[in-house]
Amino acid sequence: MNDGQRAGLVRLFQTGADAAAVALSRWLGRPASIAVRDVELLPLEAAADLLGAGEEPVCGAGMPIGGALSGILLLVADDAAGLALADLLVGRTIGTGRTWGEVEESATLETANIVGCAYLNAIAAALSAGEPDSAGSIIPLPPTFVREYAPALMEGLLIDQAALSDTVFLTRTEFAIDGAPVRCALVFVPDAPSRARIIDGSVGPASMGEG
Amino acid sequence: MGGLAVGRDAGVLRTFLGSCIGVALHDRRLRLAGLAHVVLPDSQGRPEDLGKYADTAIPELLRLMKAQAGGEAIRPVAKLAGGARMFAFQTGVVIGEQNLAAVERALEAAGIPVLGRCCGGNKGRRMALDVVSGAVTVEAVGDPPESM
Repeated sequence: MNDGQRAGLVRLFQTGADAAAVALSRWLGRPASIAVRDVELLPLEAAADLLGAGEEPVCGAGMPIGGALSGILLLVADDAAGLALADLLVGRTIGTGRTWGEVEESATLETANIVGCAYLNAIAAALSAGEPDSAGSIIPLPPTFVREYAPALMEGLLIDQAALSDTVFLTRTEFAIDGAPVRCALVFVPDAPSRARIIDGSVGPASMGEG
Repeated sequence: MGGLAVGRDAGVLRTFLGSCIGVALHDRRLRLAGLAHVVLPDSQGRPEDLGKYADTAIPELLRLMKAQAGGEAIRPVAKLAGGARMFAFQTGVVIGEQNLAAVERALEAAGIPVLGRCCGGNKGRRMALDVVSGAVTVEAVGDPPESM
């Protein structure tokens, strides 16, 4: 993957992040921004530790994706940020929720649905604008709630790519709400066929019509 | 992922596991322990990253433990953890199960008995191996720790 490809992919995923931020702002009723931090090939070991060393659990929702850009989209946060998000959504004072129950899990899943679909729809639209024949569609499927040690969670996400290579491709975005950073991220991990298409350039800059 | 570690006389060896298999080997007499984090079942002849594959990780871990034993014969036993299928929608992914089967074959080939297993399911795990006692503790988020 060369610099031109990487720059094109950053633009592509930032398009998704901007749309996701708009959706998150509406959902929360507060200003939110989402910025692409990583679009890269990483050694397996570094990628496994991307979300932290894992002494404390992280929570989130994993959304499988089919179609032109298949893989898994993970909305992930540390426990405090995840519970604070649930508090915001059910109109409670932040800090009220201290354990994960049905309400908190449901709030996380719904947030993943809203943010994830906005992100993917914008990416699908960007791909289709460049080269309709090759872009096809992106199909999000219902997310699953997860609460795991971060390295174990990343390992589960990366295992498909690990079967093919010692490096893994992923993208990571970071969130701010009300102008303040939130320990929450949206991580896209392509499956093996999508990884191959991204690396060989058939998804990304060429599909967007510029290099 | 794919790491190998050996300790003797003191300490705890730890790893996190999703679909991968943690292989704990322990020789009580020598107070010698080794831990492998197996990512994939078969090296297909690759000469590098020996700890990553079941068929190369077990022989390499035994080699490292023998080096620590200073020429004494080692008689390790094994305990295994991991091999989860972490997302229900990953229906096509059976790497965890393939990893476990490949590890069991490699241990059998090396004549190493397996004394305990904490494998499968849909949860990631934290595995800790006490170098002196050989006790293995396996934790999953939201569940009580399991000892073997």
